[in-house]
Amino acid sequence: MVVVMQERASEAQIQAIIAQLVEMGFDVHRSSGASRTVLGAVGNGNADPQLLEVQDGVQEVLRISEPYKLASRTFKPENTVITIGDVRIGGDEVIVMAGPCSAESEEQVEATTAAVKRAGAKILRGGAFKPRSSPYSFQGLGEPGLKMLRAAADRHDLYLVTEVMEIKHIPLIEQYADIFQVGARNMQNYSLLRELGHARKPVLLKRGISATIEEWLLSAEYVLAGGNMEVMLCERGIRTFESYTRNTLDISAIPVVQKLSHLPVVVDPSHGTGRRDKVAAMARAAVAAGADALIIEVHCDPDHAKSDGAQSMFPAQFERLMAELRIIAPAIGRSICVEPVARLGWSR
Amino acid sequence: MSDITALRTQIDAIDAQIVALLNARAVHALAIGRLKEQAHEPVYQPAREADVLAHVRSLNQGPLDDGAVTRLFERIIDEARRLERLAAHPESGGGR
Repeated sequence: MVVVMQERASEAQIQAIIAQLVEMGFDVHRSSGASRTVLGAVGNGNADPQLLEVQDGVQEVLRISEPYKLASRTFKPENTVITIGDVRIGGDEVIVMAGPCSAESEEQVEATTAAVKRAGAKILRGGAFKPRSSPYSFQGLGEPGLKMLRAAADRHDLYLVTEVMEIKHIPLIEQYADIFQVGARNMQNYSLLRELGHARKPVLLKRGISATIEEWLLSAEYVLAGGNMEVMLCERGIRTFESYTRNTLDISAIPVVQKLSHLPVVVDPSHGTGRRDKVAAMARAAVAAGADALIIEVHCDPDHAKSDGAQSMFPAQFERLMAELRIIAPAIGRSICVEPVARLGWSR
Repeated sequence: MSDITALRTQIDAIDAQIVALLNARAVHALAIGRLKEQAHEPVYQPAREADVLAHVRSLNQGPLDDGAVTRLFERIIDEARRLERLAAHPESGGGR
């Protein structure tokens, strides 16, 4: 931490700050410049920068270490790779997770799963417990929905990511899913995060709609601190003044998080835009910017979807997108779905 | 070239003296740290630090100016303060 004193700070004010820093357990390096004094505080001391900043004579306090530890690249310089069966998230291959917003029926789940598998997705997404903005909206099928999703994933040799909304559902969802998804609305549900720290399966942690990157990484820290080191961070758009799109997808968060943290970065262009016709462009941008994985909503019949129909892609659109991503990924040294695909069926 | 080599040899010899003197100073700082601990006095004593800086400035004859001497001794005092802390609380750890 660096404490910059005001130009007119008195010697007594400087001494008071040094005394305080020493008391907090820091070693203090004082440098008296021509016009102002700078105090470097190093070591294992503990201090609230804001508390120091309001002291007399202090101009500003600069924190030089992050408040999160386990999530930080300082703690672990090499990338974390999360392995689920033969799928590696955070490695060279960009992994695509796709599927419906919610499980609605056997037929809808099967048709959508077959379509995303054919296009090259490796992980099926789909919700059975839905956190809807309105309590009167479709809330998901619950356990029967989980069963449908698991069965479809198994039939098509895919893994399953699904949302967990509350602590009491963790054991149930753990039976069916391969990855726990924590939704944007639950990013700061610290008791849920703490509990997932004891879970044995990876966690996909979405960024809250008004969360800073630091708050997001601190939420990941809750899971990591519990002993579960398999956390992936999912950018899904933040709330801005722009209302044309549902949210504003923060593409810049990808390189920022990759610099600050070793955890894999997933991007959700579906919630990020809220509009089907904008999903492909944002997915391409995310891969080009270095995302480790994508999570995309696809529905066999979006116009009749019970939730998020407007942002769900048609299977044909998704197939075309996957073909485009296969061209973009190698440009930055990545691959995407190396298996041959039955039919591309796209034209430009 | 040989002039520079000769001057550098002299600097190396002076550095050897500086290191020995700094460590001789540090031995006293450590002893003071232990005494402060016994007397329950704080490690940081701003009045004494100000006296040390005033004293070295009064001895200064250049070519370093007083500001330079002050800054150099601030670093020496920083390290002495750290040593005193370690002498008083060895369990608090060092760090390098």
